[in-house]
Amino acid sequence: MNPLELTLGIMTAVGGFVDISELVFAAQAGSIFGYALIWAFAFSTIGIMAFGEMAGRVAAVANQPVFNLMRHRLGLKLGLVTLFASLLSTLVTCAAEIGGLGLILHYLTGAPYLLMSVVSTAVVMASMWVLPFKWIERVYGLLGLLMLVFAAALVAIHPPWDKVLGGFVPQVPSSLSTKQLLQFGYFGVAILSAVMFPYEAYFYSSGGMEEKWGPKDLLTNRVTTTVGFVLGSLLAIAILASSAQLFGPALVGPEEPGTTALEAAIPFGRAGLLIALLGMLMAVAGAAVETCMANAYAISQFFGWEWGRHKKPWDAPRFTIAWIAFMLLALAIVLTGADVMTLVEYAVLFSIIVLPLTYLPLMLLAGDKGYMGQYANKWLAKGLGWTYFVIVCLAAAAAIPLYLLTSGGQA
Amino acid sequence: MKLTGSIKLVCQLLDLPILDKDERWCGIVDDVELEGEPGKTTRVAALLVGPGAYSGRMPKFAYRIVRAMAGNRIVRVPPAEIADIGSAVRLKCTAQKVGLHRTEDRVRAWIPRWGAL
Repeated sequence: MNPLELTLGIMTAVGGFVDISELVFAAQAGSIFGYALIWAFAFSTIGIMAFGEMAGRVAAVANQPVFNLMRHRLGLKLGLVTLFASLLSTLVTCAAEIGGLGLILHYLTGAPYLLMSVVSTAVVMASMWVLPFKWIERVYGLLGLLMLVFAAALVAIHPPWDKVLGGFVPQVPSSLSTKQLLQFGYFGVAILSAVMFPYEAYFYSSGGMEEKWGPKDLLTNRVTTTVGFVLGSLLAIAILASSAQLFGPALVGPEEPGTTALEAAIPFGRAGLLIALLGMLMAVAGAAVETCMANAYAISQFFGWEWGRHKKPWDAPRFTIAWIAFMLLALAIVLTGADVMTLVEYAVLFSIIVLPLTYLPLMLLAGDKGYMGQYANKWLAKGLGWTYFVIVCLAAAAAIPLYLLTSGGQA
Repeated sequence: MKLTGSIKLVCQLLDLPILDKDERWCGIVDDVELEGEPGKTTRVAALLVGPGAYSGRMPKFAYRIVRAMAGNRIVRVPPAEIADIGSAVRLKCTAQKVGLHRTEDRVRAWIPRWGAL
């Protein structure tokens, strides 16, 4: 194992962990419920660690990306339903990321939001065309580390650490009314969905194959999905805790990403605000790339096309056409004038419904000794996998009723 | 695993990805063609690849949509060209030899060949 590669892998995972949905829901959850939903982030992170590790392990050992498995395990009919649902949910997520990029660039430059959405899409697409996979992953992941300013900001505002640590204990605040309880449940489900977005498994497993992982890379996979994801999740928790400390008592509702950036501006002034906005820009741009490529991976793998950005665009032509088409479709959604926060809500809602269909075939294959041999799921992966599968199914069943009952998280 | 022995068609062959001898992804086993007669051993005569092979595997209305979007082309891959069956079907030959790269080649013509590192 190359220590430099491992360090870069961890840093990339940290910088690439947070996206527009986590920015929005972490800040709102902190403002409304204080530290009481920190545990939802911690809990969901264990889930994505478990399934991310499985996705990487299957890619390394069975040389199978997630959508090949899905087609083989679910069959053509159910596979097509899953493909369509995944494409739709990830497309909406991609549109939310592009809208987020437009908003952040609007904050930075003052130029119109829609124009900035077009500009950011063009720049992101150019980077995807020019850079090979490893560079795409590294550039956005490492520049996303500017988000560490949120962790520094939390330390600088001296939060009540006992309350922050207390937030890691699963809890439901006792003083909530029925409406607030439903809202609390909605935020819990939304955080689970935002942390465990299905595109993350598609992108991570396909990325492992892009980098030609083999059994020798299993330790890298394990360390990246544990250390990298935990540190990335701590960033999201820092945003939540700062919001609980700064926005909650002032009754500020951080419904837009710009408000979240103020968390760094309060302790560090203009420089903090700039670093926060640039970090958010890079993190969200990275997520836009991941969602767009995840869709291209999904459709290419499902139909057995040549795929991968370790190849030149013309060596995987249908894959190339697919990512260009999905990026333009996502931009078209933004250009209709759809509200970014509404897109974020739809993205988490659609994604939680798709999650069980994504993770079940992955778990079955990771546990199949015929394919995985000695690397098949052991008791810990099996236990975590089935536990989270049941929870994700329950969350999927509750998502739409909670969305309707709370009018999208409004008390 | 090879097609000369026994195989569980649904769980060991159907919907597996296909890789040619240059490790290029070149399709999915969309269906299989069987040969045999009463009292004799049934054998796999060919792997069927392409949207035309979906016809017996999905509801008619869904197949009509697929056909309108992707056509009804079927490529037959003879068992003699199969090197191994595991987590994927590996071919002994190139995709071109069995006609599995026609669409890919056609789309390739649209992609400009500049600018990528």
